Amino acid sequence: MKLRQRFPAGADIEADALLAELTGEPDGGPLKVGDERIISFLTTFARKLLAPAVARRYPELASLGFFLRKAEIAKALARLSDGDASTLRFPRGLVFHIPPANVDTIFVYSWALSALAGNRNVVRISPRSAGAAEAVVDALNEALADAHPAVVQTQRMVTYDRDDAVTAAFSAASDLRVIWGGDRSVNEVRKLALAPHARDLTFPDRASFAVISVDGWQAASAEARKEAVVGFYNDSYWFDQAACSSPRVVFWVGDSDAAARGREEFRQLLAEVLAARGEVIEPAMAVQKRVSTYGAAADGLATSIRFDGNALATMELAEPTTLVREWLGTGTFPQVTVDRLADLVPAIQRKDQTLSVFGFSRDELVGLVKALAGRGIDRVVPFGSALTFSAIWDGFDLLHEFTRLTTVSV
Amino acid sequence: MTALFELSQAQREATLLPQLTELTEHHRAHCEPYERILGALGIERGRQFGAIADLPWLPVRMFKNHDLKSVPDDEVFKVLTSSGTTGSGASRIYLDKEAAGAQTRQLGATLQTVLGGKRLPMLMVDTVSIIKNRRSFSARGAGVLGMATFGRNHVYALDENDQPDVEAVKGFLAKHGNEPFLIFGFTFMVWLYLYEVAKEHNLDLSNGILIHSGGWKKLIDRAVDNTEFRRRFAEDTGLTRIHNYYGMIEQIGTVFLEGPSGNSLYCPDFADVVIRNPETWEEQPIGEPGVIEVISTLPRSYPGHVLLTEDLGVLHGIDDGDWPGKRFSVLGRLPRAEARGCSDTFSGGQAA
Repeated sequence: MKLRQRFPAGADIEADALLAELTGEPDGGPLKVGDERIISFLTTFARKLLAPAVARRYPELASLGFFLRKAEIAKALARLSDGDASTLRFPRGLVFHIPPANVDTIFVYSWALSALAGNRNVVRISPRSAGAAEAVVDALNEALADAHPAVVQTQRMVTYDRDDAVTAAFSAASDLRVIWGGDRSVNEVRKLALAPHARDLTFPDRASFAVISVDGWQAASAEARKEAVVGFYNDSYWFDQAACSSPRVVFWVGDSDAAARGREEFRQLLAEVLAARGEVIEPAMAVQKRVSTYGAAADGLATSIRFDGNALATMELAEPTTLVREWLGTGTFPQVTVDRLADLVPAIQRKDQTLSVFGFSRDELVGLVKALAGRGIDRVVPFGSALTFSAIWDGFDLLHEFTRLTTVSV
Repeated sequence: MTALFELSQAQREATLLPQLTELTEHHRAHCEPYERILGALGIERGRQFGAIADLPWLPVRMFKNHDLKSVPDDEVFKVLTSSGTTGSGASRIYLDKEAAGAQTRQLGATLQTVLGGKRLPMLMVDTVSIIKNRRSFSARGAGVLGMATFGRNHVYALDENDQPDVEAVKGFLAKHGNEPFLIFGFTFMVWLYLYEVAKEHNLDLSNGILIHSGGWKKLIDRAVDNTEFRRRFAEDTGLTRIHNYYGMIEQIGTVFLEGPSGNSLYCPDFADVVIRNPETWEEQPIGEPGVIEVISTLPRSYPGHVLLTEDLGVLHGIDDGDWPGKRFSVLGRLPRAEARGCSDTFSGGQAA
């Protein structure tokens, strides 16, 4: 099967031919961790993403642009120099990335960090990708004009329809395979063998929650509450509430009467934001929300359901420990009030990723995370930051994962 | 003759509302998941409703993900399944003996309005293999088999290899073409395998009564809509008695039938329809498209008496057509809700 070469743009190519092209030594020698040739390319690319025309059209690309600024890159690299002089860090080799189809930009983070680590990379861009992903590919190709030849000699992005033979060829050749996109994808791709020394870095299905302190809510100014709701809106509605980090269940922690008042105010503020942003929910999505909330009620998971227009559905969970983790439709929030933050502990599972929080002290949150003891929850972030990508993701420090260590103890 | 299309809208409201309210209570008492849903929506037991449109509805897709039945397990006589066209999973519809009998009886009574009291010779515009292979029983097969009981001397218009069997059709017409006969098939098959063949071979279908269903989507690229369908059948084959119908397995036995003059579907006296605004979910006025809710007093063994479909439709009028009550058209399906999410590198529908 022929692969469509997206970056660098080029004629269709077979997988084997592409792999052969990646085996030669690049001009100027093999890539190092934090290689200047790559940094220079990434920063040029970042500038293109931050260009007003691009950033206006795809705000998510502006976030990506910020992530790849020179100072940010330097910060990420600085975290790597943690070993003593006897420990030397090198790229893993060839990294094969399989990103999800629907979150347009995650493949860029995954790839950019791996390139920064000095790896040769093959990225499969889904044939269904559109919009922002296309803009990314354009920006990458434009940035090539000033790039060192080593960039095209080591970095490739291709598009192909699902084809196990191609995926198997890339898998067999790679030193590290990065699989995004949920349990099913991970299981499917894992059937294809890696070389004995190679390994997978997987990003399976995750669930995320929002947690609000009743005391914190009461103590917050009207302005701060409004800001929190805007942040919550961004976290939830940006990716149709379907991203791994989008909050699903909303916990209120504290006195239940005060929580009831807080919830009512929160709902009103959210309705105002939805109206102000002109959030439109398609009829099919509205029906989907009915199907899933009615289903939760039918199963005894929810005791009451409320619809404030098509954009906002809330339901009361019957048990604080029986959470609804699956996607219920854009703007559908199971809610539950618990007395103490510690009450979350029995509810949390390994697959739970992000807590977006409002109104807690850092000590309270560190206490919670310690009580969880690594059993679940990989990140705790303030409202409005749930979707902000970080170089530490799902519990992995990606630059560490993308590199390997050699020790010289002589 | 129109024994089941007689109630004006006011009479229908007055007759059906108490029955539907009783059915709602019946299902609450006998189907726990249904009771939980209504409870969660804040609808208390014994609630009285001001109008049929005020009754709580279930999304039809609920039957794909949940076992909703109002009869004990040991009284389940038949389980109907259909994958429909909305993708994942199949609806499961539970019938006890009484419900199974009632649905056949009421469907028969509905069709009698246009077929008359006698069983007519029947031309099936489908392949005989659709009902032969019972193990892979499809919704289409179920439809064909269900309809077959309303005719006699069945002849299939397609052979076992899905090829038009012109000789079979000619033979049928030679035998039965001079008396009223029944034609049944899915809309696109009727067009592709009966209209085209009849036109090519100058077949006379003027004594036929065509009952068809299934939607126009597959005929859009041929620029055939209901009006064109009726016009060309009349001009080229003499067939004028054409009745499209709308129905679904989740309300088995209830069909909304096109009137003699065409282009409007009517509700039998035990059924009704509400077109809802997809933003407010209020009832739409005449002429405003919306989501179709179908209402029937038939479903007693499962809570399917008030269902929100995933079809779009429009009301054309009330008490002003061939038959009394509301008249409407189906405009197509709601597009499927898709989310942008992390978890679908290789998920369904894009395997190609």
